[in-house]
Amino acid sequence: MPESLVQFAGVTRRFGDLIAVNNASLDIRAGEVLAILGENGAGKSTLMKMLYGLYPASEGQILLDGAPAKISGPADAMRNGIGMVFQHFSLLPALSVRDNLLLSWPKTPFWKSHRNARTDDVLTSLAELAPQIDPERIVSSLSVGEQQLVELCKVLNINARLVILDEPTSVLTPAEATRLHGFIKQLAGRGVAVALITHKLADVEACADRIVVMRRGSVVDIAERGARSMAETVALMMGQSVDRTLRPPPAFGRTVPRLVLENVSAQRPDMSLQGISLSIAAGEIVGVAGVAGNGQALLAEAVAGVEPLTAGDILLDGVSIARHTPFEAVSTPLGYIPEQPRDNGVVATMSLARNLALRDLAQGKRATGRHANLLERFNVNPPDPAKLAGTLSGGNVQKLVIARELGIQRDAILACYPTMGLDLAAIEMVYAAMFAQAASGAAVLWISEDLDDLLAGSHRIAVMREGRLVALLDNDGTLSREAVGALMTGMTETEAAA
Amino acid sequence: MSPRILGAASPFILTIFVFLFLAVALFIGLGQPPFQTLAVLVQFAVGDSYSLSQTMAKTTPILLCALAAAVPGRLGLISVGAEGQLHAGAIAGTALVLLAPVWPAPVLIPLMLIFAAIGGAIYGYIPGLLRARLDVNETIVTLLMNYVTVLLVAALVFGPWRDPASQGWPATMQFPPNAVLPALPGSRIHLGLLLGLVAALALHIYFNHSRWADKVRILAGNRKVGETFGLSFGFWVMVLMSVGGALAGLAGISEVSAIQGRLQQSISLGYGLTGFLVSWLSRHQPLIILPVSLCVGGLVAGSDALQMFAKVPAASAVILQGLLFAAALAVPGLLARWRKAQ
Ligand SMILES: Nc1ncnc2c1ncn2[C@@H]1O[C@H](COP(=O)(O)OP(=O)(O)OP(=O)(O)O)[C@@H](O)[C@H]1O
Ligand SMILES: [Mg+2]
Repeated sequence: MPESLVQFAGVTRRFGDLIAVNNASLDIRAGEVLAILGENGAGKSTLMKMLYGLYPASEGQILLDGAPAKISGPADAMRNGIGMVFQHFSLLPALSVRDNLLLSWPKTPFWKSHRNARTDDVLTSLAELAPQIDPERIVSSLSVGEQQLVELCKVLNINARLVILDEPTSVLTPAEATRLHGFIKQLAGRGVAVALITHKLADVEACADRIVVMRRGSVVDIAERGARSMAETVALMMGQSVDRTLRPPPAFGRTVPRLVLENVSAQRPDMSLQGISLSIAAGEIVGVAGVAGNGQALLAEAVAGVEPLTAGDILLDGVSIARHTPFEAVSTPLGYIPEQPRDNGVVATMSLARNLALRDLAQGKRATGRHANLLERFNVNPPDPAKLAGTLSGGNVQKLVIARELGIQRDAILACYPTMGLDLAAIEMVYAAMFAQAASGAAVLWISEDLDDLLAGSHRIAVMREGRLVALLDNDGTLSREAVGALMTGMTETEAAA
Repeated sequence: MSPRILGAASPFILTIFVFLFLAVALFIGLGQPPFQTLAVLVQFAVGDSYSLSQTMAKTTPILLCALAAAVPGRLGLISVGAEGQLHAGAIAGTALVLLAPVWPAPVLIPLMLIFAAIGGAIYGYIPGLLRARLDVNETIVTLLMNYVTVLLVAALVFGPWRDPASQGWPATMQFPPNAVLPALPGSRIHLGLLLGLVAALALHIYFNHSRWADKVRILAGNRKVGETFGLSFGFWVMVLMSVGGALAGLAGISEVSAIQGRLQQSISLGYGLTGFLVSWLSRHQPLIILPVSLCVGGLVAGSDALQMFAKVPAASAVILQGLLFAAALAVPGLLARWRKAQ
């Protein structure tokens, strides 16, 4: 039996009356990749945060190298060779990638300068993992996927014995994810233990050695990979089986343009949108495909009226909804699901009920009762309207925003990575809600990195590269993943296949 | 008392104990009998009606300046400009009195207060505008702008506004009785205190129970979300900075009119900064600011008298204030950490 690095012995964690982790026992061994699966709010993040010293256990014990671990905070954890990459990032957006890496590097000398050769060590893992990222770039200009990779480099730089990754692939492109899988296996080969929290079975297939399944705070199963079929694992996670097929709304006569982008241009220090024109009809779903960091985030914020346009206009049923100067107040009429909803979609210090009523409150109206059943309908857990949004698990924040935005019929919808961090049942529910909106006449603009889902669920696919729309394709069943992928990267199809 | 209330109140109780402990240590260090000196301090703060009136007189500007920091503070802004806004209000109010010294009190006093409020508001609006439009840090701007009005007051009272009858003393003429804020007879408790009380209650209702309360709360909690739903951060920055400035301006004119009786240098004993600290200690909650400013006002009045009548150095008043703030900032955090470790 391989020796275990970390052992959870009957660990329980309560938040008030809520039991987030219930009597969990499991061990993590050196050199293995341990996948932790479970639906949203199952307690995966909480379990690992206890190991990382962010929360003390309410009951039970965590053993490190066979002795009770004395970890009372991240600094202790790092000293003990434990590193964690969070679902929710902790980079300093105003600093460069290099400075962020130096800040969390224990060996950073006090006299840091750019010509100081010793500090180049900090960049080796970056070069290995994400050679395309220039270390002098400012973090706020990176895409979410790139930030994820920088976070990972931070952890690798402390020479961790145990690396905890909380849903690392949910924001990565397929190519980035594949590279990460390879990297994880390489780490494990060097004897590092990797705990990988994920919702993607592809991650499990690609690199897990053992699989832990959590449900409602309890560890319900621990098995070697291959001991169970994926269907069995999913059934364990959900307590029921889920079949995963997208049922997009029926085709429609493309007649009435509803959401119209006319030559939309916008500018940010590191990205510019150049003349994007697109007309979406009532009932139509247009998917936007692209490698992260090619202007999708800017496009979304421009369409949502958060980012001012430098040229062009955006019309909903003929009425302009764009922001033209930074100082005007524009309230978006769209159902808008922003990326990173914890940062961009909720007020963490306000209750769930108030977060659902944000539109009313922002207009100086009282919250009305019509949001009452949204929490149940969209499975936000716990469905307690008085709870603060900041205490929800990552996936439940996402569901909260979706409940607010898709809970009532909209004229148009702008969804950015709407299923990020969600479990399979929740993904199903989100797509059902989005497609139902389209079926009753909403124009849908759907930004995603999941090509399979885009191909299965959208009527047309727009491909973005370097701030432009490089293609607008009818999704008539003949489009292939490879063809779209090639357009995304700018390679020809044959190059991509090679 | 139920354990729950005790739990909520324990940081306050502990803060007072830690402060008393530090004060005792200070007096021992100064070679004074500690408990006696402490008793004298309390005596000078609340011992008789004169002391009480002095305490209220100090509380008034501290309260108004604390509210001046709290109003922008609700949006997450850090304004340290109350001192400058106080002087701006004093200048604007005094200007009216110098222009129309003979107007009857029912006209002159309200107008004087309005002028002062507008003066302070403009002085808050400028850093607000810079923050809203150009994203210039409001803390730095308010800090630097403080020096300008403080020195402007000096320039005015040494120059054009000096009263020729004052024989060289740099001050304006004595305010005529029709320009002096009404006060309780025989005391220094004046209309300014009432204004502060009303403002605190009004702000409490506005920020907690009004229909607009959530606009500020949303923007403070997540600016981007607020802007997505049509709230303008810049607009609220300018409004709240101006309102804060107006309150500090009222503090300025009430010091000039009711306490000093004329505009001169040193109308403020650092009330702006004291108010800033009070506001942050009270987490910008008007109803907490009320009792906290009263305590600090008592401490200021008490230690002022102490340095006159007991053998302690003049600086000990400031040192005592510093000890109080240090205790109040450190104790709740330490307590929380200790509880978490439990
Ligand atoms: N700080 C906190 N205060 C109160 N409740 C919390 C806190 N952190 C987590 N919880 C609750 O504990 C439960 C487990 O949360 P956790 O974040 O561990 O879930 P998760 O398995 O990581 O889910 P997801 O896949 O959505 O990220 C949730 O119900 C959550 O609301
Ligand atoms: Mg989680």
